[in-house]
Amino acid sequence: MIEIRWHGRGGQGAVTSAELLALAAISEGKFAQAFPSFGPERRGAPVLVFNRVSPNSPIRARVSVAHPDIVIVLDPGLLYITDVTSGLKEDGILVLNTPKSLVEIRSELSGPWRLAVVNATSIAREMIGVPIVNTTMLGALARATRIVELDSLTEPILERFGARARGNVDACRKAYEETETGEPAGIVPKRPKIFEGEELPTWQELLPGCVLTKPGSARQYRTGDWRSERPVWDHQRCIKCGICYLFCPEGCVKQTKEGYFEADLYYCKGCGICARECWTEAIKMVEE
Amino acid sequence: MVKKMIGIEGSFAIAEAVKLARVDAVAAYPITPQTHIVERLAEFVANGELDAEYIPVESEHSAMSACLGTSAVGARTFTATASQGLELMHEVLYVASSMRLPIVMTLANRAISAPLSIWTDHCDAMAVRDCGWIQIFAENAQQAFDLVLCAFRIAETPAVFLPVMVHIDGFYISHTIEPVQLLEQEAVDSFIPEYRHPYPLDPDRPVTMGAFGPPPIYTEAKKAQEVALRASKAVILEVWQEFSLLSGRHYSPVEGYEAGDADVLFLIMGSFSETAMVAIDRMRAKGQKVGLVRLRLWRPFPVQELRQTVGKAWVIIVLDRAISFGGRDPSVLKSRRRFIP
Repeated sequence: MIEIRWHGRGGQGAVTSAELLALAAISEGKFAQAFPSFGPERRGAPVLVFNRVSPNSPIRARVSVAHPDIVIVLDPGLLYITDVTSGLKEDGILVLNTPKSLVEIRSELSGPWRLAVVNATSIAREMIGVPIVNTTMLGALARATRIVELDSLTEPILERFGARARGNVDACRKAYEETETGEPAGIVPKRPKIFEGEELPTWQELLPGCVLTKPGSARQYRTGDWRSERPVWDHQRCIKCGICYLFCPEGCVKQTKEGYFEADLYYCKGCGICARECWTEAIKMVEE
Repeated sequence: MVKKMIGIEGSFAIAEAVKLARVDAVAAYPITPQTHIVERLAEFVANGELDAEYIPVESEHSAMSACLGTSAVGARTFTATASQGLELMHEVLYVASSMRLPIVMTLANRAISAPLSIWTDHCDAMAVRDCGWIQIFAENAQQAFDLVLCAFRIAETPAVFLPVMVHIDGFYISHTIEPVQLLEQEAVDSFIPEYRHPYPLDPDRPVTMGAFGPPPIYTEAKKAQEVALRASKAVILEVWQEFSLLSGRHYSPVEGYEAGDADVLFLIMGSFSETAMVAIDRMRAKGQKVGLVRLRLWRPFPVQELRQTVGKAWVIIVLDRAISFGGRDPSVLKSRRRFIP
């Protein structure tokens, strides 16, 4: 049995990817399972989805995947906020959407597992018109792991996307062609620096009734992790009017000493409202 | 300390206990056979005998919800209900125990519709068996008075901080006039100290109650709650011990009647156990070795005490006032010698 863990962001279609993969595997006569790990997350927040695929026996385990054979990452930014390689088997494979080459990625992320990379965002923009990479990454997955035939993915994608299906099928095929797979680089794991959350209290430490006595604990919640684009201010165009400051729904746009504005990236979710409201077009949203 | 015996209806005796406990808030919706309790409390508040906030609500769901609020700000809180009313407040009962709010509630046990029945059984009690409240059964009006008083003290003990439900059989206790010894106000005042919530809802010291709990926190919270409920038994024993010094009446989690040498034991909760005593007296007079085990404490379940009281009996006959549809056994338990509760 092959176990897969998907890392995506809320709204990126990771759940759909896993479902389509399961449907493709089942259409090949295999046993497969897809299920999400639901939380309170909003659009942009890191989410997990799981697959199990077995060529010949029914799948009984109904628990999340802790030791995946395959990890697939839909968003390059997730490498820096969550340990995507956690529990990945030594003979497993990590499939990444990244604009970086295999060599570049290896310099910052390596381990005993194999690596596969594809610039899925660029392919999705070209073939579908939006940077939603879930179907694109299915092509990369099929190429890197051979877990299903590329053709098996076509029917589920057509069924799911109707009129918009053609671009998704094309993106999936293009990613299949462009995915680069490398052999294991080394056995010493090397990972990007990751923000560590606070340790959760145990039952002995909780106050009776789980009462929270300190206000403002939501302040620790790093909503900046949800961001896939960030606002960048062009000081040539900025007239310091403060419209971005007024419209930011998170209250995370701050004024600098010089009177310009900038976003607090700990909280900025990259919603783009500031860029939309800026009437001198001084704010551009750039990909993380 | 102990007043002379008076004749009083069970419901009114409970209202006297609640008044003596100086509750700060009562939120209730009338339902037979509980109505007399809260009607009398409403009278006490209206005529100035009881300085409390009486909150008339539009349903039992709102009654228990209002109780959450009053208890959370640090007000001593009481309510009463029965049957369908308990079912309607069901979901809020879990919130009360999970937020560790020491609300005291009397449940006048009554059957659940349909057909519509206002008469006693324990189906309502069994439907809330696992809601995390301490649950105690009374057998007569005197016990109802005593156990409601003790309930406030138990619930508000800092090591416990859990809501307590005192079960009384509808009509057999709620509407029966019988002799009851009340207590002096000073004695009750010394027995039940002022209620102090350690982290009350207070604008000057803001807290959050009932926040979101994802699985890793939820699991820890439930463990803490279970440990607290189990540990409450030690406090219950202490409180009942202290109460016996005050009143001369002693209570135990499991109480026997002619149980010591009995071959056959009845196991009963609530008022029916007193009727059973009459039958046991008659059978004993004929030389039959029968006895009775009464479950006083229903949650936390007193396993050790039950094993001890059962002793060497060969047969235990459970007279259960609740039906578990489709289940092999009744809700309480049914077994012969060496049963494991």
